[in-house]
Amino acid sequence: MEFLVQLLIAAVEMGTPLLLATLGGVISERAGVINLGMEGLMLVGALTAFVVMLHTGSPILAVALAAIAGGLVTMLHGLVCLMLRANQIASGLALTLFGTGLSGLFGSSLVGKTFNPIEDIPIPFLHKIPLIGEAFFNQDILVYFSYFCAVLTWWVLFRTRLGLNIRSMGEAPEVCDSLGLSVLAYRFWSLVVGGGLIGIGGAYFSIAMNPYWVDFITAGRGWIAVALVIFALWHPLKAMAGAYLFGLALALELRLQTLGLNVSPYILKMMPYFLTILVLTVVTIKNARRDIKVMPAALGQVFFRGLKN
Amino acid sequence: MRLYLEKRDHIKAFSRFPVLTIALLLAIFMSFLVLWSVGVNPFEAYLIVGEEIFLTDYGWQDLLVKITPLLLTGAAVALAAQMKLWNIGAEGQFHMGTFAVTWGALNFGHLNTFSLIPFLLILSIIGGGLWGCIPGVLKSRFGVNEIITSLLLNYVAAAWVDYHLFGDWRDPASNNFPITPGFSESARLPNYFDSDVHAGLLLALFVILVLTFLLKKTRIGMKIQLAGDNLDAARYSGISIGMLTLIIFAVSGAIAGMAGFSEVSGVHYRLQQNISLGYGYTGIIVAWLARNHPLGILLSSFLMAVIFVSAEILQIEYGLPISVVFLYQGIILFTVLGSEIFVEYRLRLQKIV
Repeated sequence: MEFLVQLLIAAVEMGTPLLLATLGGVISERAGVINLGMEGLMLVGALTAFVVMLHTGSPILAVALAAIAGGLVTMLHGLVCLMLRANQIASGLALTLFGTGLSGLFGSSLVGKTFNPIEDIPIPFLHKIPLIGEAFFNQDILVYFSYFCAVLTWWVLFRTRLGLNIRSMGEAPEVCDSLGLSVLAYRFWSLVVGGGLIGIGGAYFSIAMNPYWVDFITAGRGWIAVALVIFALWHPLKAMAGAYLFGLALALELRLQTLGLNVSPYILKMMPYFLTILVLTVVTIKNARRDIKVMPAALGQVFFRGLKN
Repeated sequence: MRLYLEKRDHIKAFSRFPVLTIALLLAIFMSFLVLWSVGVNPFEAYLIVGEEIFLTDYGWQDLLVKITPLLLTGAAVALAAQMKLWNIGAEGQFHMGTFAVTWGALNFGHLNTFSLIPFLLILSIIGGGLWGCIPGVLKSRFGVNEIITSLLLNYVAAAWVDYHLFGDWRDPASNNFPITPGFSESARLPNYFDSDVHAGLLLALFVILVLTFLLKKTRIGMKIQLAGDNLDAARYSGISIGMLTLIIFAVSGAIAGMAGFSEVSGVHYRLQQNISLGYGYTGIIVAWLARNHPLGILLSSFLMAVIFVSAEILQIEYGLPISVVFLYQGIILFTVLGSEIFVEYRLRLQKIV
């Protein structure tokens, strides 16, 4: 029982950065923009939050600046793939390289420094729920923030006019354009807001999970989040389920090591990536079989209205 | 007043050149800002870098050594790009190549070099090729996004190599360093001109030559080109897209695997961590800048090699981390991607009355 509780706590912790990043991906992909820069953005967010936390000790400032940094760096991607109409995949990869390089360059002087990680705040009554109470309601503020973000993203995307417009940009940009909505503006800001969320996801690594700097601290989680967007069928609430499922897998990897299981840690390390590939394959097959067309129809397409724009 | 894009009346074949030049100048300018932001005088730094690369023997040697794996990984990614497939997994295929070669070299090191070297080459082809088949099968059989699968497999391959480096392959004499014992003389590629330049470079050039021939002059090459231009047309003309996808990924993986062979047998003579400085990822940029042209691969590999060697010099002279390479690569890819539209369009200013 104690093992299970600990496992679930770790699962939520591991799932939180994935959830935030996946939500960011969902927002921009719903608007029709692929963001393969997630890994780089998470690294930028992690670095920014770490530096701010180190100097000010304020988690709120750290998270806010991580979001701003994530958004600002994403603007490069937006500039290149939206305004200058370059290939979104290539531009996203450039963003990952850029973010990885940026965090490596400025992070090298931070190795070995540390601070107190943000504290857990139990939510009255709720954290006493057996089994899941500790996992979901005795966590730090960022975890609660991620719940809020998931619900808010769902509400905005599916219950407001703004969300309808954003989703339409991913389905039929020409129609939106003929209705007088600015495709570029909607796509650009969806991408940037998404980038901010991905930055916060990265911040979770450096200020909540382990408050010391390591190079490539996100270790490919950004790419898992790219897959999770598809797994979640571009839906914010399903993203929650997906993120915690993967969180569970990552937590299991750690727990099995501490249990003294006689398996090399390097073999265990492969598991989440294999799992991602497996799940992605299953989801792809299932969607093809049921003929589900949830993927935004105009995803990744360059929008170009005539000659003038 | 507002800015808009206007299609150029005449697009000259040559017009890509000035646009590309401006993009690269912008990238260099941004790299100045990067250096300046970490307190390095960029003028001084680039003077040192330029001198050390182009005015010393060692610089040229190092350039040719760094070009070698990039030619191969670049060719690997470019091959997949012919069919509009993204092989982001060259890094992992490279690692599986090094793994297979090391297995061969450690177990069959007693063979003479004329049988061992071809054997190791084949092993690297199998290692990288099979690893490339995984995203290939998933894509062709089930339509799974090859970008994500091939990328994720990079992490698996790196962990697999680590598993052996920290486990059964660790050199007992290495003071617990994660390195294998050195390869026997017969497992090492010959060097030329009394320098570090090794036979891997010839292998790389040969592979590019063969690929160019296959793509331009053979039936299967024609099918690949057709599938790349128009997938539906290719499908209706009876070409098996699934089979072609699988072949492309297998061959692409095999070429990336050869890059691994060239590095372990030509440079390090043992397996260790960080054998790839991101050569697989760099292959993506090489391929993109090359625009599917064999000569382009040579030029863009050269450019990327310059970046690698510059980063090494910056590391030695100023203590900058080697990951500055990624930053430079990101900047170049951004500026080049962003510039491409200006080949066909020009920016116009319109006065709104």
